[in-house]
Amino acid sequence: MNFDIALLLIQDGLTNGAIYALLALAILLVFAVSRVLYVPQGEFVAFGALTLATLQQAKVPGTAYLVAGIGAVAMVVELVAALRERRRQGLASSALLYVVIPTALLGLAVWLAPQKPPLLVQVLLTLALVVPLGPMTYRLAVQPIANASVLVLLFVAVAVHYALMGLGLVFFGAEGWRTPSFVSAQVALGPMTASAQSLLVIAASAILIVALWQFFGRTLWGKALRATAMNRTGARLVGIPTEASGRLAFTLAALFGAFSGVLIAPFTTIYYDSGFLVALKGFVGAVIGGMTSYPLAALGAVLVGLLESFASFYASAFKEVIVFSLLIPVLLWRSLMSRHVEEEHDE
Amino acid sequence: MKHVTRLAASAALAAGLALSAQAAAEVKIGVIASTTGPGASLGIPYRNVYTNLPPQIAGQPAKFVILDDGSDPSTTVKNARKLVDEEKVDILLGPTFTPGCLAVSDVAVEAKIAMICLAPVVVPPAKMPWVYSIPQSVPVMIAGVVEHMKANGGKTIGYIGFADGWGDLVLKALEATAGPAGIKIVASERYNRPDTSVNAQVLKLIAAKPDAILVGGSGTPATTPHIALKERGFAGTIYHTHGVIGADFIRIGGKSVEGTIAPTGPLMVAEQLPDSNPIKKVALDFFAKLSPAYPQVRNAFSGYSYDAFLLVQGAVTAVGTKAKPGTPAYRQALRDALEATKEVVGTHAVYNMSASDHNGVDQRARVLVRVEGGQWKLLK
Amino acid sequence: MTPARIAIAVFVALLAAGPLYLPPFYVTLVNYIGLYSLVALGLVLLTGIAGLTSFGQAAFVGVGAYATAVASVSFGLSPWLGLPVGLALTAAVAVILGGLTLRLSGHYLALGTIAWGISLSYVFGNVEGLGGFNGISNIPPLPLFGAAIQTAQDFYYLIWACVLLALAALVNLLNSRPGRAIRALRNAAMAESFGVNTAWLKLVVFVYAALLAGLAGWLHAHYLRFVNPGPFGVGYSIEYLFMVVVGGAAHVWGAIVGAGLITALKTWLQDILPKLFGSSGQFEVIVFGVLIILLLQHAGGGIMARVVRLFPPKRAAAIAPEAAPGLPRRAAPARGEAILEVDKAYKAFGGLVAVNGVSFEVRAGEIMGLIGPNGAGKSTMFNLITGALPLGGGEVRFRGERIDRLAARQIVRRGIARTFQHVQLRPTMTVLENAAIGATLRGRSGVAPATLRLDRAEERAILFEAARHLRRAGLGDHLYEAAGSLALGQQRIVEIARALAADPVLLLLDEPAAGLRYQEKQALAALLRALREEGMSILLVEHDMDFVMGLVDRLVVMDFGERIAGGAPEAVQADPRVIEAYLGAAS
Repeated sequence: MNFDIALLLIQDGLTNGAIYALLALAILLVFAVSRVLYVPQGEFVAFGALTLATLQQAKVPGTAYLVAGIGAVAMVVELVAALRERRRQGLASSALLYVVIPTALLGLAVWLAPQKPPLLVQVLLTLALVVPLGPMTYRLAVQPIANASVLVLLFVAVAVHYALMGLGLVFFGAEGWRTPSFVSAQVALGPMTASAQSLLVIAASAILIVALWQFFGRTLWGKALRATAMNRTGARLVGIPTEASGRLAFTLAALFGAFSGVLIAPFTTIYYDSGFLVALKGFVGAVIGGMTSYPLAALGAVLVGLLESFASFYASAFKEVIVFSLLIPVLLWRSLMSRHVEEEHDE
Repeated sequence: MKHVTRLAASAALAAGLALSAQAAAEVKIGVIASTTGPGASLGIPYRNVYTNLPPQIAGQPAKFVILDDGSDPSTTVKNARKLVDEEKVDILLGPTFTPGCLAVSDVAVEAKIAMICLAPVVVPPAKMPWVYSIPQSVPVMIAGVVEHMKANGGKTIGYIGFADGWGDLVLKALEATAGPAGIKIVASERYNRPDTSVNAQVLKLIAAKPDAILVGGSGTPATTPHIALKERGFAGTIYHTHGVIGADFIRIGGKSVEGTIAPTGPLMVAEQLPDSNPIKKVALDFFAKLSPAYPQVRNAFSGYSYDAFLLVQGAVTAVGTKAKPGTPAYRQALRDALEATKEVVGTHAVYNMSASDHNGVDQRARVLVRVEGGQWKLLK
Repeated sequence: MTPARIAIAVFVALLAAGPLYLPPFYVTLVNYIGLYSLVALGLVLLTGIAGLTSFGQAAFVGVGAYATAVASVSFGLSPWLGLPVGLALTAAVAVILGGLTLRLSGHYLALGTIAWGISLSYVFGNVEGLGGFNGISNIPPLPLFGAAIQTAQDFYYLIWACVLLALAALVNLLNSRPGRAIRALRNAAMAESFGVNTAWLKLVVFVYAALLAGLAGWLHAHYLRFVNPGPFGVGYSIEYLFMVVVGGAAHVWGAIVGAGLITALKTWLQDILPKLFGSSGQFEVIVFGVLIILLLQHAGGGIMARVVRLFPPKRAAAIAPEAAPGLPRRAAPARGEAILEVDKAYKAFGGLVAVNGVSFEVRAGEIMGLIGPNGAGKSTMFNLITGALPLGGGEVRFRGERIDRLAARQIVRRGIARTFQHVQLRPTMTVLENAAIGATLRGRSGVAPATLRLDRAEERAILFEAARHLRRAGLGDHLYEAAGSLALGQQRIVEIARALAADPVLLLLDEPAAGLRYQEKQALAALLRALREEGMSILLVEHDMDFVMGLVDRLVVMDFGERIAGGAPEAVQADPRVIEAYLGAAS
C-alpha cells in the first residue's frame, strides 16, 4: 500500500465514520435518557434515504402515509390511556403531535412532491416526514413500560426494529434506491483530492454534532435531558417529566437517523432493510465510547469507519468479522473498568 | 424450425381448449418465492407473474398457491412440505434463491413431486428425476463474458462481488471459465449489499491493473463498485452479470455505467432480436399479456417465472387426461412430461430437457448486451 | 398425581402418538418446534435462570451443523461421529467466546454476543471448505442398522427424544447442588460468599447452553440435509430469545411453549394475513413485531409465569428427607483461641477513608459485637473480612493464616460464613433451597452427575442439613414457601440458617435483628447463645442496643472508620467517647 491509497482509505473511513458518529450519538442519547438500546435506529436511516429517493422521482413517499397512520394509532392509545386515567391534560398537545402535524405533512407531501421542489426543500420535507416517527415510536412501544429492565427494553427495541422494517417493505417496496450526488466536484486538498460529496458529509455531520453540543449546553431542554440521563429519579423529583425527556430523545434520534439516511443516499443503494447493519456500526462506536461519553462515542464511530475502510482493503470478505470482533476486546476492557466503579457505587 | 414450434404450440393450445371442455379437474401449482428478507427484491418480480396470470393452464382450471419463505432455507423446506402435504399441489415452482433450491430438493425427491427451481442451481444426478432448474447456469452466462474478453484481447481480469451466495456462484463460474480461456484472475474482492463505500476494494482492484473487471452483483447495488471504479479512473471494460439487467441499473448508474457489457436472457432486449428468433414473439407476447396489470413485467426474474409456467403448460398438455390432478400418478406424469420437453420456446431460452439435462438451455439462452446512450443494446 | 404431572403425561402421550394423527406437514412443523426447543432450553438456563443474555445461540447451532456437515460430506465420516465432533467443537468455541464475553456485565454482554454472533455467521460464509454462502448440500441421513433415519416421521421421534431428555436433565440439574448455585448466579456476591466460583460456573452454564444448541445443529444438518449460513445469523438468535421471553424465561417448559407458540404464530400469520390483506408475505414481520411489543408490555414473565400463577405447583421440587446421614463437619478450635485477628485494617474509596487502621480479634466460642453509628464502616469491615472487598492495608488472619488476599469463596471454605445487611436471598426459590445454598461447599457432585440424578444421596444429606438449621431457627413451618414471600425479619433468619449450613467456625451477622418483633428477637438471642455454647464464634453488627448488650461478650466500637473503644459491654457503655459519638446520638 502506498501513501496515496492510505490517504484515500482515510478519506473514505472518515466519511463513513462521520455518518456512524451521528448514529452513535443518537444511540447514546436514547440509551442515556431512556435505557433503550435503540436497535431500530437503522430503520430511520433507511426511511430517510428512501423518502428522499421517492421525492426525487416526484412521487409521494410512503412515509407520509406511514406517519399519518402511526400517528392515528398513537392518538388512539393516548385517548384510551387518558380515559383510563380520567385526565384531559396533554390531550391537546397529543392531538397536535399525532394527528394535526402528520395530516398537515401528508397534505404538504401530496401537494409538493409532484412539483419536484429544489433539493433543499426535498431534504427538509424528508426530515419533517421521518422525524415524527421517533416520538410516536416512544409513545407506542417504550412509554408503557419505561421502567422495565434494560434487557426487556432491548427486546422491545428489537421488536420495533422488526415492525418498522416490515412497514418499510410495505411502504417503499423491496427495490433499492440511490440518489444522485448533491455535489459532484472533486476538491484538491494538499496532496490528495477529495470528493466534494465526502466533504459535505463530514461537514454536515460536524455541524449537527456541534448543534447537539450547543443544545445540551445552552438550552433548558438540553440540560433537562442531561439531568435525566444522569439521574432519572432525581430529574423527576425536580420536575422534569420522564415521558417528555424520552419523547425528546427519540425525536432527536429520529432526526439524526433520517439525516444520516439523506447523507448516505448518494453513496450506496439503500433498501428497506439496509439500515440495520449501518446502525450496528454506530452501535459499535457508541459502545467503544462506553455508552456514556458523547465525544468518545463519536471518536469510536470514526475509528470504526477507518477500521472498516482498511479492513475492506486488506480482507474484504472478512470486513464485518473484523469490525464486530473489535467490539469484544473493547467491551472487555470497558467492563473491567466499569466493574471497579460499580463496586464503589454499592458501598 | 420456427414454424414447427409455432405449429406445435397452437396444436397444444387447441388440444388444451378441447380438454377444458371435458375435464375440469383443477391443477394446483405450488409456488415458493422470497418476498421478504434479503432476496425480496428478486422474489417479488418472480411472484408477481403468478399473481397476474389467469387461473388456468392449458385450458384447465389452475390454482397458484404462493408462499413466502423470507429467504430462509429452513422456511423453504417447511413451505414445501406444506404445499405437498396440505395443499396437495401437483408441481412445485421455486424457490427463488439458490440455497433454498438446494435445501428443498430433498423434499421433492422424497415426496416424488417435480420441482422447477427458479434460481440457478446445479442439479446433482441423484436428484435429477424430480428437480429441474430454469435459469441459465451461471457458467453459461459468464462464459459469454470470458469469450467476449478473449475475442477483444484481454488477458487479466479482476473480480468484485457480493459477500453472499450470488457472489460465490459468479466467482466460481469465472474461475472455471477464465483459466481455460487463458485469462488470469488477478484480484478478487467482496462487498456487502448495503455497504456505503467500496472504495477500499476498488483501490486494491485498480492496483492489480487488470484489463477488465467483472462485478458479481445484482440489481442497483452492483453500481456501487462500478461508480467507484469510474471515479478512480479505471479505463478497462467493466463486465456485469445478468443480475443487473434492468432500467434501475442505468437509472442509478447514470453516465458511469455507459459501456457496461453483460450477458442476459434474450427477453431483456426482445425488440432488438431478429424476427427469425422465436424467443422474440414469446417475450413480446408475455409483456403484452401482463403489463396492463403488472407494468414492471420486463425483468429477467418474471421471465423465468413465465418460462416455468410455459414448461408446466406443455407438460399439462402432454399429460392430458392420462391421470387426474391431485394424485401421485399425475405428479409422476407431469415429471415424465417435463423430462420430455422439446423445443419449448420461452422468454429466456428454447428448452430441451432430457434424462441427463434438467436445465435444458443452450447458447440461444444468452445474449450479450451493452449500455449505449442509457439503453441496453444487443451486442451483435 | 398432581395436575402438573397429569398435564405432562398428556403432553408426552399426545407427542408420542403425533405421527399417527398429525398430517405430514404438522409433523415437519413439530420437528422444527423440537429443534427450536432445544436451543431455547439452553437459553432458559442461560438467560432466564443464570441471567446471562446471549444473542449468539444461532451461531452455536451453526457450529454443530457445520461440524457434522463437513465431517460427513468432506471427510466421509459416519453422521453419528458428527455428533461428538460437533459437540466438541461447539464446546471449544463456547469456552473461547465465553471466556472472552462472560466477564462483561448486563447489556455489555448482550452487545458482545451480538458482535460475535454476527462475526461467526460471516465466518461460515467465507471460510474455505464450508461451501461459501450457498452452503453444503447432500448431507447424508442418519444410518441406523442398515436403514436410515431420514423422513420427517423418523426425525420426529429422534428430535423429541432429545428434547425430552434435555428437559429432564435440565429439571434435574436445577434441582441439585450445582443447580442452586446456578440459580444464585444473578446474585454473584452472595454466591461467591458461599463458595461458588461464579466465573467458572457462568462458563459451565454457557457451554451447557451452547451444547444444547450444537445438538440442535447436528439434528438440523441431518434432517434438512443441507446447511448454509442463513439460519445461523443474529436474526435467528434474536428469535430464539423471543421464544424464551414469550414462553417464560424462568421456566423450563417456557422453552417448549415459546418455541411452539412462535412457530405456530408465524405459520398461522402466513395463512391468515394474505386473506386479510390480499397480498402475501409482507405483513407477517410487522404483525410479529407488534405482537411481541404488546406481549412484553402486558405479560412480562411470559406465558409460563401466567400458568404458574393460575395453577401454583402443589409440591416443591426439593423436599427435605425425614432423616439422612450427616454431612462431614469441620474440626472446632479450642475455646478461647483467637481465631480472627484484624490488624490495622485500612480501606479507602477514592478520597473517602471507610476503615482506618482498625484492629481487633475474635476468640473461639464468644459473641463479639461491632457497633457504631451509620456510616462508621462496619459493613465495609465485614466485606473486608469475608473477601467481598480487597483490603487497602493491614492484615486479616484467620486461625493463624492470612486471608486478606483470598477471594470470598476461599474464605468461606476456611470456615467464615456471613449474612448480609441487605438481604440477599433468591426470592423465587424456596426457603429450604435458599438455606441449602449455604451447604454448597459441603457437597461434591457437579453438573454431569446432577443431570443424571446420581447425586441423590448427597442431595438428601444437604437438604436435611438445611432443613435442620431452618427448624432450629424457628422456620420449620415455612420450608417450602418462596423466600420472597416471608417478612423481612424472617428473611434475615433464613440468611442465618443459610450461613449455618456452611458449617462455619466464625459466623458474621450483619444486623440480624433488624425487622424482628420482640419475641422473635428473644428467640434469635436464644439461638445465638445456644450456638455459642456449642463453640461457635459470632461477630455481630447490630443497631439494637438492648439486643447487643444482653448478648455479646465483648464489643468493638467504630466511628468514622476508626476504632474508638473496645472491651466488655459495661465498660464500653461507660466510655465517654462512645457516649459522645454513638450512644448520645442514638438517644
